[in-house]
Amino acid sequence: MTRHDDRPVIALVPGDCTGIGPEQTARILAEGRMDDEARFVVVGDRRVLERGMRFSGVDLDLAQVDSPAAARFDGGAVPIVDLGNIDPETLPLGRPDDTSGRLTGDTLARAIEFARAGEVEAVTFAPLNKQALYRGGWEFPDEHKMFAHLLGHTGPFSEMNVLDDLWMTRVTSHVALREAIDQVTFESVCRALRLADRTMRGAGIERPRIAVAALNPHNGEGGLFGREEIDIIRPAVEAMAAEGIACEGPFPSDTVYLKAFAGEYDSVLAMYHDQGQIATKLKGFNKGVTVTAGLETVFTTPAHGTAYDIVGKGIADVGAFERAIALAARLARRRRRDRDAA
Amino acid sequence: MSAGAAPLALTCGEPAGIGPEIAAKARARLGSALPFFFIGDPAHLPAGTRVAEIGAPAQAAQVSGDRLPVLAHRFPAPAAPGRPDPANAAAVIEVIARAVDLVQSGAAGAVVTAPISKQALKEGAEFAFPGHTEYLASLAGGERVVMMLACPALKVVPATIHIPVAEIPAALTRTLLRRTLQITHEALRRDFALAAPRIAVAGLNPHAGEGGLMGREEIEVIAPVIEALRAEGMALTGPHPADTMFHEAARARYDAAVAMYHDQALIPVKTLDFAGGVNATLGLPFVRTSPDHGTAFDIAGKGVADPTSLVAALQLAETMARHR
Repeated sequence: MTRHDDRPVIALVPGDCTGIGPEQTARILAEGRMDDEARFVVVGDRRVLERGMRFSGVDLDLAQVDSPAAARFDGGAVPIVDLGNIDPETLPLGRPDDTSGRLTGDTLARAIEFARAGEVEAVTFAPLNKQALYRGGWEFPDEHKMFAHLLGHTGPFSEMNVLDDLWMTRVTSHVALREAIDQVTFESVCRALRLADRTMRGAGIERPRIAVAALNPHNGEGGLFGREEIDIIRPAVEAMAAEGIACEGPFPSDTVYLKAFAGEYDSVLAMYHDQGQIATKLKGFNKGVTVTAGLETVFTTPAHGTAYDIVGKGIADVGAFERAIALAARLARRRRRDRDAA
Repeated sequence: MSAGAAPLALTCGEPAGIGPEIAAKARARLGSALPFFFIGDPAHLPAGTRVAEIGAPAQAAQVSGDRLPVLAHRFPAPAAPGRPDPANAAAVIEVIARAVDLVQSGAAGAVVTAPISKQALKEGAEFAFPGHTEYLASLAGGERVVMMLACPALKVVPATIHIPVAEIPAALTRTLLRRTLQITHEALRRDFALAAPRIAVAGLNPHAGEGGLMGREEIEVIAPVIEALRAEGMALTGPHPADTMFHEAARARYDAAVAMYHDQALIPVKTLDFAGGVNATLGLPFVRTSPDHGTAFDIAGKGVADPTSLVAALQLAETMARHR
């Protein structure tokens, strides 16, 4: 029996080989729980994945392909584009390494080329180390900016943190607090709201309800503790609400997350990094998924890090990585449908 | 020390807010086990509140648990829920001053304050202080104080408080941070009976600046102060990335955290314990705590206000006073 295989094609990148990524990648491919969601092609070094297999105690047949377009997804051997660029035995294990950071970036860049060529519909990558990436020569404050650069993307984009049905995002990200304040403008708040709304609709949420955090303590206390709420944030929220986005706020940032956790909103827009990250990390968002919103390629990754303390033991949990794959598949399907409809 | 087992003084706060209601509810919850008395106008208490007017704080301990001991302070106007009356503003301020007099004379063991409306006090009585804390510090003779937010899971002190975020980087000086850490350290020893308190210090920027990539305040301000005070014998760690220092395993490594700004301290407290957070002023010559919510004008007079934070504030004040 033949049927049209409409599972999205996802490039799986094993992440920084000094961390748990390769063993997680191997385990997920071997256990096969995600096989209904997507078709996978590994982009990376075969030796890295093979060591991950050993660490996880799993066995995989690999089929070397020149590019994802040549891959066969018949349930047999796992297709891999072997870049031959990383010999894991020459790199440390369980600690960050600049060379490994550079090679991790090189590998992601190749996966992105395949995405640009339309050979894969999404890239899901295992944890990397931001500092090693930077020190290795990929001098971007985070991988999202690197992806945007490699894609030649000039429009808005941002990181979103997803746990269950909650999508958290922020106006500013990996910049000093004093710069973040300067970057909170009417335009940037509008942009972030449009991006969050569009991304969540792209995941099938019909009318995403977005709560917007204040910048200043006590929501600015009527202007006593800052005027950004009055001059920037509220006008932006009102303008976007008039465009049809279900956004409300600004709300005091010490309780806005509780409203979302209680189910009153699908999303919270923070003004700066720690404002969002403190509450979401306490809520267990490290078990969630990070999405790069706004780019033409779908990117997802587990929110947790390289877990250097347990590398090589084969005990790393793969739940968040699997959720990252499932989300990438969901976003990719939806995009395909929207494209077909257009 | 003289205060010993003296009852705690609870101010009425803004009578148009939920202060009187939660005072009555806190008494109902605590009974006579934790002696305190309410300073305010008995007419502002919810209808049906069983009141025992007292002439002096010491009498509070003799009042039966089902009645609220009240040291009456008559206000010029009734309380209209949700609508603060400018005519009452001066009396709200007097009640706070009276509580401070009582605790400084030893008649009260500590001051616990119900929420005020800064706006209402400013409009009604030209109250010039940004909040309770600053007013209390002024009454106590201009002491340098800091605000601690406390819940069973976390104690955290923000180095800067009620200022716009845009002003934080300039406000965050070595002198301020050093003073904040010293006051916190001393209070943990004196009021919380911790012989060698461990304090974790947050960074200002994402990832604590990531070695200077995202801001230099960690390198230029925070780390040098930590180094200097550590050399003086304090058990300090940091600067830590603020988003990874509040989970359970991290909290086990310190007795209190020092945050760089208001929301960096409030977000973890509210997320960990929405209803039970307490505000304590450290550095005063007396113990002062308060619930960490506001006047809640939107629900005032409806009988639905939650006294949990006030109860926790009374309990914390009692504990801190006992340690003195």
